[in-house]
Amino acid sequence: MTALIVGAALIRDTFREAFARKVFWGLFGLSTALLLFFTFIMRIDVVQGATATVELFGQSVEKSIDVARFVRRIHGAISSFLYVWMMFLALFASAGLIAAIFEPGRIELLLSKPVSRAGILMGRYVGNLLVVALNTCYLVLGVWLIFGLKTGVWHSAFLGAIVATLFIFAVLLSAITLVAVLSQSAALATMVAFGLMILSAILAQRSLAERLLSSEWSRALWRTLYWIFPKVFDIGKMNMDFVQGKGLGAADPIWSSAVFAVVMLVLSVYSFSKRNF
Amino acid sequence: MLADNAIETDGLTKIFRSLWRRREVCALDHVSLQVPRGTTFGLLGPNGAGKTTFVKTLLSCVHPTEGGARVFGHDVWETGARRPIGYLPENHRFPTYLTGASMLDFYGALSGMDAGARRRRVPELLELVDLARWGDVRLGKYSKGMLQRVGLAQALMHSPELLVLDEPSDGVDPVGRRHIREILHSLEEIGVTIFINSHLLVEVELFCREVAILHRGKVALVGKVKDLTAGKGYRLSAASVPDNLAAKLKEAAAATASNHGLMEFQFADREQVNRAIDDLRAGGAEIESVAPTTSTLEEVFFRTVQS
Repeated sequence: MTALIVGAALIRDTFREAFARKVFWGLFGLSTALLLFFTFIMRIDVVQGATATVELFGQSVEKSIDVARFVRRIHGAISSFLYVWMMFLALFASAGLIAAIFEPGRIELLLSKPVSRAGILMGRYVGNLLVVALNTCYLVLGVWLIFGLKTGVWHSAFLGAIVATLFIFAVLLSAITLVAVLSQSAALATMVAFGLMILSAILAQRSLAERLLSSEWSRALWRTLYWIFPKVFDIGKMNMDFVQGKGLGAADPIWSSAVFAVVMLVLSVYSFSKRNF
Repeated sequence: MLADNAIETDGLTKIFRSLWRRREVCALDHVSLQVPRGTTFGLLGPNGAGKTTFVKTLLSCVHPTEGGARVFGHDVWETGARRPIGYLPENHRFPTYLTGASMLDFYGALSGMDAGARRRRVPELLELVDLARWGDVRLGKYSKGMLQRVGLAQALMHSPELLVLDEPSDGVDPVGRRHIREILHSLEEIGVTIFINSHLLVEVELFCREVAILHRGKVALVGKVKDLTAGKGYRLSAASVPDNLAAKLKEAAAATASNHGLMEFQFADREQVNRAIDDLRAGGAEIESVAPTTSTLEEVFFRTVQS
């Protein structure tokens, strides 16, 4: 019971701080702007299962295509866009929320309470994740509703973007948490998270690397790095394939990214528990 | 069974090591201190004496290099050991996005209080610290003195048995100080142990029953305020004091200290100091000095720190 009270208090406090720092409203405002964009740029007239016209920015782009296939293709592209969009926004917005609790004069009071250090850190982590989850749900559900109402096609696989976005955000947030514990710097934590995103896109080009790299050891190093770091790029691609009905494919990027997150969180809790404040 | 001491440290040592410069700073050097349950205890010392490190060690913010600390008989590193502690830190930074009431609610919840208990307790405490009309105002709008008072209310949220206050009067005007003192007196009457870390000697002298002076990470003096400040007295220093004799003299002395193998005893009158000299000579100890002492805590403090 006490653990529930403490956990709820820590999560609520993260939300309060997110509101106060305008993080929540910033995410919400940008998501709303994007929803309005989708509402007004696209007009689709549906005639008995086929589109009569599709207009983007007032220009007719396609005629007489299958609505379901068309919406699925659009959904695939948009879910990839939302995945990257939400990731950028969430990382910018979140890094400060974790580092804030280490401010001198604040951390001592938190540590003086009968709460374990792991509990304090995980409370913030989960709170941060929920702040982003709420906004992601709002944006993805909003886009799904807009397309559903405009086309009459309710393609539920699109909602998989929520799961993919939150999963990879949780993975990157674990790295942010570790950097924040070690350095207490929000800026450095943000840089590391973006660095991981870029690195993921580079490391994902495995087949190209296998062709370009001449020595075996450099290819082995590439593969090792690929498996160590989170697969932001691959999971984004998996999400798009899933939405377009091509299935999920191999689950390796999921479990290896999950292992990365668990290792980061264990290291965060360990280094937090060893620190003096 | 109830522990006799609210706080008990045994050879508490903290050495801060700088990895890059390979420098070591000994903040606490084998500090052994007992704070009896129900007392009001002041921890004094010049800047850099190790007072804040000592307090942070009690609250598990700082890992000791050696030795340990117990609160009501429990190791401070047990999460539950911190349940009976209310703490007001020095240089606190309460989240400014919280209002006075929501701040009390948050820290009350972290202490394990359920929602109903928090709802009842918050207005009571805001009233107690004279901030009833400020409960819905964000802490960012509070003055330093108001923050100190709401900080005290925060420390009292879960009705702690031990109150640890780090510079409680910092930034508070004289009226506010008296008000805080009155609140603390009322807590003392109901048996709450109060541990104050302060630079303000007058405040400690007015409020605390017992004091310890930390100097360069060591306990330089510990005793009851009334004995230390009760008119004229005598300070006796001796070396090579046998253990059994040291224990006997500690009972008779108003205060004792130990420094580099030299033991110091503070006696209230000439008769006591002469009897102690006789005992020390008979026990084979070497007397270093005997000096008359004067009475205010400030004088005791300076004498101790300068010696």
